[in-house]
Amino acid sequence: MARMKFLCDADRCIECNACVTACKNEHEVPWGINRRRVVTINDGQPGERSVSMACMHCTDAPCAAVCPVNCFFTTADGVVLHSKDLCIGCGYCFYACPFGAPQYPRVGNFGSRGKMDKCTFCAGGPNPENTAANYAQYGTNRLSEGKLPLCAEMCSTKALLAGDGDIIAKIYKERVAKRGYGSGAWGWKTAYRETIAG
Amino acid sequence: MLIKRTEREARRGQLAVALAGNTSGGMNRRTFLRRSGLAAGGLAAVGALPLAGARKAEAGIAPAGAKVTTTKAICTHCSVGCTVVAEVANGVWVGQEPGYNSPINRGSHCAKGASVREIVHGDRRLKYPMKLVNGQWTRISWETAINEIGDKLEAIRQKSGPESVYWLGSAKSSNEGAYMNRKFAAYWGTNNVDHQARICHSTTVAGVANTWGYGAMTNSYNDIRTSKTVIVMGGNPAEAHPVSLFHLLTGKEEQKQNFIVIEPRLTRTAAHANEFVRIRSGTDIPVIWGMLHHIFKNGWEDKEFIQQRVYGMDDIRKEVDKWTPEEVERVTGVPGEQLKRVAEKFAKERPSTLVWCMGATQHTVGTANVRAFCILLLATGNVGQGTGNGANIFRGHCNVQGATDIGLDIVTLPLYYGLAEGAWRHWSRVWETDYDWFVQRFGDAKMMGTSGIPSTRWFDAALLPKDQVAQKDILKAMVIFGHGGNTVTRMPKAAEGIAALDLLVVADPHPTTWAVLGNRKENTYLLPAATQFESAGSRVASNRSFQWYDPVVKPIFEAKDDLEIMYLLAKKLGLEDKMFKNIKVTNNLPLAEDVLREINRGGFSTGYCGQSPERLKAHMQHQEKFDLVTLRAPKDAPAEIAGDYYGLPWPCWGTPELKHPGTHRLYNTTLHVMDGGGTFRARFGVEREEKLPDGTTRKVSVLADGSFSEGSELKDGYTEFNYGVLKKLGWDKDLTDAERATIEKIGGGPDKSDGVSWSTDLSGGIQRVCLKVHGVMHYGNAKARANAWNLPDPIPVHREPIYTPRPDLVAKYPTLPDAKAQFRVPNVGFSIQKAAVEKGIAKQFPLICTSGRLVEYEGGGEETRSNKWLAELQQDSFIEINPADANDRGIKDGQWVFVSGPEMPEGKVCRVKALVTPRVGKGTTWMPFHFAGWFMNEDQRSKYPQGADPIVLGESVNTINGYGYDPVTGMQEPKAMLCQVRAA
Amino acid sequence: MKLHTHIRNILGAFAVLLALTVAMPASAQQNTNPQSQSVTEEQLLRELNKITGRITQPNQTLSVLEQPAGREWREFHQVTLRWIAAISIVGVLALLVIFYLTRGMVKIEGGRSGRTIMRFNGFERFVHWMTATCFIILALSGLNITFGKAILLPIMSAEAFTAISQWGKYFHNYLSFPFTIGTIMIFLMWVGGNIPNKMDVEWVKRGGGIVGKDHPPAARFNGGQKMIYWIVVIGGAAVAITGYILMFPFYGTTVSGVQLAQIIHGIVAALFIAAMLGHIYIGTIGMEGAFEAMGTGEVDVNWAKEHHKLWLEEEMGKGSSARAKAQPAE
Repeated sequence: MARMKFLCDADRCIECNACVTACKNEHEVPWGINRRRVVTINDGQPGERSVSMACMHCTDAPCAAVCPVNCFFTTADGVVLHSKDLCIGCGYCFYACPFGAPQYPRVGNFGSRGKMDKCTFCAGGPNPENTAANYAQYGTNRLSEGKLPLCAEMCSTKALLAGDGDIIAKIYKERVAKRGYGSGAWGWKTAYRETIAG
Repeated sequence: MLIKRTEREARRGQLAVALAGNTSGGMNRRTFLRRSGLAAGGLAAVGALPLAGARKAEAGIAPAGAKVTTTKAICTHCSVGCTVVAEVANGVWVGQEPGYNSPINRGSHCAKGASVREIVHGDRRLKYPMKLVNGQWTRISWETAINEIGDKLEAIRQKSGPESVYWLGSAKSSNEGAYMNRKFAAYWGTNNVDHQARICHSTTVAGVANTWGYGAMTNSYNDIRTSKTVIVMGGNPAEAHPVSLFHLLTGKEEQKQNFIVIEPRLTRTAAHANEFVRIRSGTDIPVIWGMLHHIFKNGWEDKEFIQQRVYGMDDIRKEVDKWTPEEVERVTGVPGEQLKRVAEKFAKERPSTLVWCMGATQHTVGTANVRAFCILLLATGNVGQGTGNGANIFRGHCNVQGATDIGLDIVTLPLYYGLAEGAWRHWSRVWETDYDWFVQRFGDAKMMGTSGIPSTRWFDAALLPKDQVAQKDILKAMVIFGHGGNTVTRMPKAAEGIAALDLLVVADPHPTTWAVLGNRKENTYLLPAATQFESAGSRVASNRSFQWYDPVVKPIFEAKDDLEIMYLLAKKLGLEDKMFKNIKVTNNLPLAEDVLREINRGGFSTGYCGQSPERLKAHMQHQEKFDLVTLRAPKDAPAEIAGDYYGLPWPCWGTPELKHPGTHRLYNTTLHVMDGGGTFRARFGVEREEKLPDGTTRKVSVLADGSFSEGSELKDGYTEFNYGVLKKLGWDKDLTDAERATIEKIGGGPDKSDGVSWSTDLSGGIQRVCLKVHGVMHYGNAKARANAWNLPDPIPVHREPIYTPRPDLVAKYPTLPDAKAQFRVPNVGFSIQKAAVEKGIAKQFPLICTSGRLVEYEGGGEETRSNKWLAELQQDSFIEINPADANDRGIKDGQWVFVSGPEMPEGKVCRVKALVTPRVGKGTTWMPFHFAGWFMNEDQRSKYPQGADPIVLGESVNTINGYGYDPVTGMQEPKAMLCQVRAA
Repeated sequence: MKLHTHIRNILGAFAVLLALTVAMPASAQQNTNPQSQSVTEEQLLRELNKITGRITQPNQTLSVLEQPAGREWREFHQVTLRWIAAISIVGVLALLVIFYLTRGMVKIEGGRSGRTIMRFNGFERFVHWMTATCFIILALSGLNITFGKAILLPIMSAEAFTAISQWGKYFHNYLSFPFTIGTIMIFLMWVGGNIPNKMDVEWVKRGGGIVGKDHPPAARFNGGQKMIYWIVVIGGAAVAITGYILMFPFYGTTVSGVQLAQIIHGIVAALFIAAMLGHIYIGTIGMEGAFEAMGTGEVDVNWAKEHHKLWLEEEMGKGSSARAKAQPAE
């Protein structure tokens, strides 16, 4: 069974933010919610690198562990999803998440957290059907249509890889071998307890 | 397990179909994955699973039961030309998918391309025609708008003459729209017609065309994959052309390229370089001469290439001798050793290519900069042979190349024919309108041949006294189709100019800066234009490839296609019968295909003649057949595209029936001319009279010496062809009777037709005979010119910016003398530079102010700042400042600061956020130019028509930028200005 | 998860970050190959406990690329906090049971005199009960967040549990305001009588009248009550401040700050609950005559004599006469 993962090749990422707007476009994610973002480390200095980051769909996901209402579940593809019907917006998943993935709309009188929103690996929500109601809550389910997350599909330099972990690891390894250097698979050790040489 | 895949019917997605297509196209899935489809890499895994199901009609936001259709469009933003795949249900654009078949982007997008769908949802679009009534925006009908505008234009024409109306067009128009705009100006009777190329690559076009013949990128984004050394100088493609980095970074990895960035700023592109050279803004020529100094000193130049194909390199040596490593370091700040290393790599690890953008062109010495770049390529033999080399000039807007070629320009009719009588007669024949009728429209044959006013100077022409503007009267009206008001420098002057106009008409999807500057109260019209996703036509990407696009949806709200607006206006002015004589018009909408056919009929000079709409549509349909690196379709591809280069990159010679494949790499002698090969163009005569030191003269040939294109019948340099030359060689017998008849009709009789040339022969016969029968290039085979004797600086020399931070260098490297009438207005750069030195401006404004692009925004930014998905990413205008400079001023990252420039009104400042970063060196600041809507600390949001104000407003860097114009093209100087910054 | 490690990590991160930013520009001038020393994740994580960069959006929370400290917080929340809370709360409960069984209710030795004296006026009682009610709901909803998943979820549907938890969250958020106000009022109302002094030392040494039969003299508030008072004031302040940080996250804090706030909030709250169990015990079944102080506000004079001798004397001296219980109301 495939184990879906993301991998951002920091030697390719140019912080063009295509992944960010592709995500907004595909799921009509509202202003203020960032399912994906690009962070630049050592900005303006030699050694600068940009990394596109979203939910990494961790093995033994910390968000799921700390959720007080158990609203998370992992699909057979290793995609970590959650139910917005069960979420109470407590914010704990954000504290535990190593990647800052969970986002909360501001609701109510003093802007308290609404129900958590995060990257779904374009796999919809608990109900896998592409219905209007599901779209409003979670966005489209591309995986069920045989498509991959749009952020990776539209990545300008093919820096962001999405798909079966073994295959994207292989692609990345081939690249590293070809170019003779690599700056590592960002977040893999934290998310998947494994890493790719380079 | 919550996703019950097994319960669904299996169906592969579009991506899978695309992959299958690739397999049959000669590339197997594995290579595809390795080369590009990294996201697709995962698909192999998905595809192996028993999953998938059709994208249901109710999917996403598509209404229930609606049928989802797919349309291919082209991204509307930069010149890369990415294919956009749109999913449409019930006339609503509901989803965007990656266009994996395009050899240009292989599914990739940047932030802008990935969010284009928002454009036709148009929350912030201009929804209907509006006019100012006593300072208030009022809704009017199209009919009223066209009638009132037409009447007012006629009134101005009566009073001040046709030259008082300025037609400012757009690099975002289709070829057809841009062409019709240019044609409109000709039929109106003025050469005051321009577009963004003026402030973009006008100096490139002038510099490059004056060197080797044509003003365009010689190779392509894809071709850079085969380079060994790449220098990006004066450009930040990672933000301005992100998808080009797909090709650049792949090439860098696969070829182990030397990837060198020469810039004042450690850009996102520079972060990926393996050599970064930081220079002072405005010192490009010393840097290039510094490199050539090492090259000549060490004998690294390509001597054979220079001997065969370059004229005047010895004159360059003399100038370069002056630029010792010490002098280069004194002027530019670059250490000699580093420049030596870069020069050696560029000269020896070939093929090498030089990539440049606005950092090179937007200077008072822009043309000279570009010339120096070309000379470096010529000296090292890195142009016009094989792959992976060349001048890879990344153009700006999505159709700036096309609009430039089409001649939306003050110095030429379409396709670089110029403004001479011969050019007017050529187009009169194509348009089937009497030459004399045009003379009568202009009122003066002399003005027909006189270059217009550059878009950078229109406000000077509106504000200066009548006697200083070299035309009947000063400017009274601006008619603007798709051009921002904040991308031109000296905005405080522009605001005065806007206030002074009798009439202002803006046809644009958004109100733009024009609508809010200048506090106008009356005589101001906004016409909602459709975007490219609501219209059909062709556009030319930076690599000269044409791409045809069909509308994704119908124009939204009351928006109208550019062509329709022009037709309505022409009808009002009584010009429609003449202007649209050979163009089918349905419901006031001219047929784009017919417009392109007319361009084809007249476009022989630049090879715009072979790209018929049918051929272009076939290319879009069979995109997947074209190779990612060579851009060529294999011989066994469907007949309508077999052997073609993708998008028939111009020149695509002859009539469409000749089936010329287009030209992937210009001047490439390693290919046959019918395979896209070529030579340097014989544009500057056969020989040149050189003055010798003893006062005598000698004549030197400027034709190529022993170099010719593959398979050529003529094995040496040769002149350009006309009917007379053809007859001399006895090749005229290869013409068909019909071709001969056309030529003799143009000439006015068999004996008077010797002068009909390859570019004025409307039959395409001369081109056909030369290319197909004799394998020669009809435009001749000459040397490229290292010495361009007709330019103000035939040999590029360094000249300090008008506002230089190094007044100590002005005496040695002054700018060119003042000119009384340059493009009809004075250029007083020299006086201003002198005064700035005397007044000590560099002490009051000690920081260099340079500017550039952000990935999220495009051009003036109205469209992108109105897009909620993009606007969220850049919410404030800002200035980058080095930590040391910030520290001196007590400025913290993210805080508001006031920026002022030497020409801003006393006491006025721009309020922007500080971005404290070592991206810029000490003494340099940088600002993006896309912002508008705040003007010298005044929030102008209330001045936009309600609901059409962009989400993000901010100060434009061009409010700070001051005087400075390239004498060759009127290019502005926004890259080397001075400013002061203080905490707000 | 050890609290001090966490704090040390955060401080360490700032130090390294500072050092990096100061050191960088100098090296930037030297190096001309931007690619040669590209930053790697591992190197950064070795030096810092989180990786922060630049982001174009104004929401700077997004600039944290990675914060593996989330795992330590998870360990704290899932294991450490549960143990702390379970041991302190169950432990105190157990102790109270044992104590009750061995000591029983502390009786008024002299028996009820029939005369009462006003100990807490209506306003004081209102403040006490407002704070107490809020506290109980806050405690229960808080405990639900920590233990509900283990205890309640197995016995009900996910939807029902979410409904409870959602309402719990609303109560927890909104009742924090009256609770905070109450805590402030308590501080202001009674701070005068709660300054610790030598007498309290004596009082504690003599077992406070609970352990053993001795009745050390005390003013209005004895040593034990002062302890409760300061637990309420300091603990209340701590949970309120950390609670508001959690409720309005990222105003001046980063995710590390929020994690630290949650750690303090959790631990303090657990200990607070345990302490309040003791307070409730003494105030109810632990001591005869104590509840009336907050019930009717009037305590038996004999009770006062035994537990607050000095206060009683002072009150009598003021002339406020104790009323005979038998007397009918006027």
